[in-house]
Amino acid sequence: MIWNTIDFVCRETALHLKRERLIAVATISTVAVLMIVLGAMLLFLVDLRVWTYRIGDVLEIRAHFEPDFPREQAEERVSEVTLWPTVREARLIPKEEGWQMLRSWLASGDKLETIDNPLGHCIQVYVREPEFVPEVAAGLEKFAGVKAVVPSSGEATKKDSFAHKVVQFKRIIAGAGIVIGSLVVLAGVFIVHNTIRLALHSRWREIYIMQLIGAGRGVIAAPFLLEGILQGTVGAVLACCFLVPAHMYLRSLSERSAPFLLLAPDNVLLVFGIAVAASGAVLGLTGSAFSVRRYLRRKPEWHS
Amino acid sequence: MPAIVELRNVSVTYPNGVMALSDVSLTVEQGEFAFLIGPTGHGKSTILKLLYRDEYATKGQVVVSGWDVARLSPGRVARLRRRVGVVFQDFRLLPRTAWENVAFALHATGHGYRDVLRRVPEGLAEVGLLDKADDHPSQLSAGEQQSLAIARVLAIRPALILADEPTGNLDPDSSAHIMRLLTRANGDGATVLVATHDPAIVNAKRGRVIAIRHGRVFRDIDEGGYPDDLEHD
Repeated sequence: MIWNTIDFVCRETALHLKRERLIAVATISTVAVLMIVLGAMLLFLVDLRVWTYRIGDVLEIRAHFEPDFPREQAEERVSEVTLWPTVREARLIPKEEGWQMLRSWLASGDKLETIDNPLGHCIQVYVREPEFVPEVAAGLEKFAGVKAVVPSSGEATKKDSFAHKVVQFKRIIAGAGIVIGSLVVLAGVFIVHNTIRLALHSRWREIYIMQLIGAGRGVIAAPFLLEGILQGTVGAVLACCFLVPAHMYLRSLSERSAPFLLLAPDNVLLVFGIAVAASGAVLGLTGSAFSVRRYLRRKPEWHS
Repeated sequence: MPAIVELRNVSVTYPNGVMALSDVSLTVEQGEFAFLIGPTGHGKSTILKLLYRDEYATKGQVVVSGWDVARLSPGRVARLRRRVGVVFQDFRLLPRTAWENVAFALHATGHGYRDVLRRVPEGLAEVGLLDKADDHPSQLSAGEQQSLAIARVLAIRPALILADEPTGNLDPDSSAHIMRLLTRANGDGATVLVATHDPAIVNAKRGRVIAIRHGRVFRDIDEGGYPDDLEHD
């Protein structure tokens, strides 16, 4: 029984698509154009998000110990900090390495060879999220023997601090993503719903006759839902076929001319493509579900 | 014989206040062939619609095959309609070939392909349309379209066949053919209820006649013809 029903639904869907090719093409094109607009906006937001995350990745905190602070104890502190859930990575920069680095950065570094190393050991910490900078800095400030933390917890919470700006920017991007995404998804459901409603209107009589001869609601609705899913997915895949190569091309251009613009890498694009295809399927399903529901409850105009 | 249709004190009032049926009670037994007759607009079609739940009774109870139709869930309504085949005056065929029209009814009611391949030609042959299996309804005459509608109904082997003015759009020869098909279905065990205002087919059959006038049962005669006084107030 179930296989007969599945077989019937698939054949009916194929028949609908074949008989109403023009409406199918119109729906797929509408979804494709919509998904290109939605996808482009989404991709822009993804790129901004990737950029803010990468900026967040390079946000570091340094805790400088007193010059006479023993290395073993500094190493113990590093092991402790590494276990903090807010910390992605922590490493010790021994004072010898720090002194060498400083000399290499300075133009007059060679002249410092005769001077004794005035630096202490230092812990270099990378946080998991930019929001954690003040909290981690405050934690490091509490360690005995720490002379200075850069940036300090006070500086990190200031409105003009870089960490604070990154956090704010990330929040704005996330908020904009939710708002724009929701608006475009709603518009998508509305457009697909209306397009599928056109297809359904031409088959209103058919649906009613199906009901009269005892076809269940599921059997009647399933081909339309499957049709919506197929049209939504095909439209979204077509949009991906345009957006992904376009983005890859833009990324290759930016790598040459504007390397500071960090665009989403291939693994992110793969997830993006799958998400857009799945969104297309959901849009198609939701749009057709709204329409079918409406037509299953009403009698055609010629009904007397 | 047990009753397949029972209407108990049924009234139907439309939202605009028009009373389509008023306190109608009637019973149709399994295997019966009965005519519902009466002038147009006096409630015949409403009675049929109540039986396949296209309308609801405002008062009273409608029982078909033991089911109180007002209380059926949507899933049960579909099951009810598989037991009740309906033939309409305007045929209500799908814009597909004759074969596909019959096959669709079978598929939609859960029959497998083997079953469909066996039953469709049987059904079309039964109504004399096997050679027109590939024709669309628009290529068939009115009589052939009604025969196809009956083939579609017979394919699902319903216990009850409701025919709403089945000969309303047909010439006398086609009407006689349709009545022969319905009589044969009745001979094969189906209960048949035909709503008509055509005295010719009622008088030719001489079966049970339930006359409806102004939404009430005016007369119920076991072996009657079309009453002469029905059309007069």
